[in-house]
Order: sequence, then C-alpha cells, then structure tokens
Amino acid sequence: MTDASVIATRGLVKEAGGRQILKGVDLAAARGEVVGLLGKNGAGKSTLLDVLLGFALPSAGDARVFGEPSQNLSAASKARIGFVPQQDELMSLMSGAQHLALAASFHTQWDHALIERLAREWEVPLNRRIGTLSGGERQKVATLLALGHRPELLLMDEPASGLDPVARRQFMVTLLEIAAETNRTILFSSHIVSDIERVASHVWILREGEIAWQGELDQLKESTVRLLLRAEAEFAAPLSLPGQLHCELQGRTASVVLGDWSAERLPEIERATASRAELVPLTLEDMFLAVHA
Amino acid sequence: MFTLDPHSGVPIYRQLLEQVRRLVASGQLKVGSELPSVRDLALAHAVNPMTISKAYSLLEAEGLLQRNRGRPMTVAARRRAIDSQASRLKQLAPQARQLVLSARQLELERKELHTLIDRLWESDND
Repeated sequence: MTDASVIATRGLVKEAGGRQILKGVDLAAARGEVVGLLGKNGAGKSTLLDVLLGFALPSAGDARVFGEPSQNLSAASKARIGFVPQQDELMSLMSGAQHLALAASFHTQWDHALIERLAREWEVPLNRRIGTLSGGERQKVATLLALGHRPELLLMDEPASGLDPVARRQFMVTLLEIAAETNRTILFSSHIVSDIERVASHVWILREGEIAWQGELDQLKESTVRLLLRAEAEFAAPLSLPGQLHCELQGRTASVVLGDWSAERLPEIERATASRAELVPLTLEDMFLAVHA
Repeated sequence: MFTLDPHSGVPIYRQLLEQVRRLVASGQLKVGSELPSVRDLALAHAVNPMTISKAYSLLEAEGLLQRNRGRPMTVAARRRAIDSQASRLKQLAPQARQLVLSARQLELERKELHTLIDRLWESDND
C-alpha cells in the first residue's frame, strides 16, 4: 500500500449467516479519485461500505482507510470521512435545519457557507419537518449532513436513487465540484450505470462478492470491446479467444466481447477465426451486462 | 465548443482529443486561442475532470496545446495554423475505413455509399 491510498483492502472476506458476502477482495483508491461501485443487488456493495466505515468487522483479510484498520479508526480519521447511507436515519419530527445545527455542533469545523449554498441550489426545504419531506428531499438533507465538515473521503450508498433526473444531474455536478476543488476522494455505489459513467474516474465492479473489474473508466472502455466477426462459413463451435468475456454465435456471425483488447490483436484474430472483424465500442452498461452474462 | 458523450463507448478524453485536433487542423481553433479550464469544461458537461485533464496533457505532449502559468491553455504557436490537406484527410482515415468495412458487410455498392455521403454532405451544408 502506498501513502496515496485512501482506501486499501487485501484479501477482504466478510461472512454473515454462514455465507461469504465478500470473498477476498483487493481494492485501492487514491486521493482525488471518484470511484463508482457497481454491482447487482446482493453483490456486496453495501457490505463493503459497512466494513470500510467500521460498522462491520472483516471476517478475514484487511481493510484500511487513511492507512488505519477500518474496524479501529482513530477519531481524527473518522472526522475526515463523510457517509450518506442508503436508508437515512433522520428523525421525522426534526427539521433539516435542526439536523444540520446538531451535526455542526459535533464538529470542530463546519462549512456553513457551503451548506447554505448547496441547500439553496438543491432547493432543500430545510425548515420543514423530515417527516413531511419526499424521499429525494430526505436524501438531499442526508447528503448535506455528510458534507458540512468537508470530509476528505465521502462514501455514499446509492446516493441519487431517490432523485429525479434534473436533481440527479445537479447532484452529480456538485459531486464533481467537490472532487475537483479539493482533491477529495469519493466512493459511491449505484446501479444507475449512466451516473457512474458520467462522474466516475474509476470503476469497481463487484460480482457475487468478488471484484470482476477495477480500474480507470477510460481504460475499461478502451480495453473492453465487442468484435463482430463475419466469416465465409458458419461458425461450428463457440470461440474461445484470449480475454473473452462473452460469445454469441449466429450462423456466419460471431459477437465476441473481449476484456483485454488492443488494436494490434485484430489481424491475428481475423486470421485465427477466418473472418473479417468490425469493432464496436461498448458502453459501461454493455460491459456490466457482459460481465454478468 | 465540444460535444462530449459520456455514454459512448469511446472514452471522454479520446472524444475531446479528436475534437481539439480537428478544430485546430481546420483552423477553427487558431494559434493562441484559449481553451476552457479543466474544471469549467468538466462541470459544463458534468463529467469527471480527470478525463478532461488527461486529454489536455496528451495534447500538450503532442505539441498542439501549450500550458500557461495562471492562464488558460492555448493552441501552441509552433504549429502551423492549418494542417496540410493531406494530414487533415489522414485524420479521417480510421472512421472512413470503418465506414467502408460496414458498407461491404452490408453488401452495398461503392456508388451507393458515395451517393449517401454526397446527400449527407449537402444536407449538412443547408
């Protein structure tokens, strides 16, 4: 682990109810990265966040945040983290403003100006009781609560799921502003692939408790492509090319998703399959589906 | 100034690279023209700043853009304002190759492809 790692896990295992939810996960996030954590329901996204936050203990392996074991974070490190849970724990009889005043009193530093600006931009009705707010409005209050102390690491579990498209876009821009201005690190889980595709610099794809892919989003897009192979004769058997994630045959055409693509491979693949290849770039959603096929 | 599609299979930095190259090659971005800052461009398009900054760094390494202290990046002076026609044409070769390939796979005649391009060219000029 380098000093630059804000998050680092090694062989992280989490068991619950006799089942392995995380099966030996190695991950690292550096300062300034916006990491999109992508996975189907039950893939282990929330569990991973719980372990990083110290809410759950690793069953085996190691999870470190700011270089400290996550189950044993110092108060100073905890103060550098902000968290927006999937289900907020706001009290229905209190107003957003009261929640914010309470949160501010817990922290030695609180950026009132930032919170006032965001509350205005996001049109959060701070003076109404939480119980009278919509799901999206509650989510905005919960996010403000996590941002006021200007955390260096922001963890969010499905942060934009309750927001309409306009509010989501606004929310994503704010995330980018936060990440760009202060070189902070953001890890957010989502199954809204298009949000991740827009704002993330890095992607972690969890599949059944294992990391199916992690790295730069740009690199993922460059190294994962679909090749449409058209041959003279029908394909007799499914192809198995190096790095192949998925293959579909239909007569003389094969559609192959490759996970370690580089342009130099084209002639060799065309020769080996006796076909002419057409390259189709994949969107993140296509890749997500190919990884799960 | 730019069209960036985060939901394309082509990484954003690559889209930006190609667009800046084309705008400079065609002279629409002239020597000394200022480019938007990484932050402004990222926020305007709601995309991650890292991918924008990667494009700018690569363009700087290519000698196309110049980094200026405390000022926006500009189109570098060393370069001739407008590339030769041959070099501009070369930049289109990969897309053209793909187009030809697709046309062959669809078993279209060369003439039919020409007609299509002519029609698109005309309609775009209106």
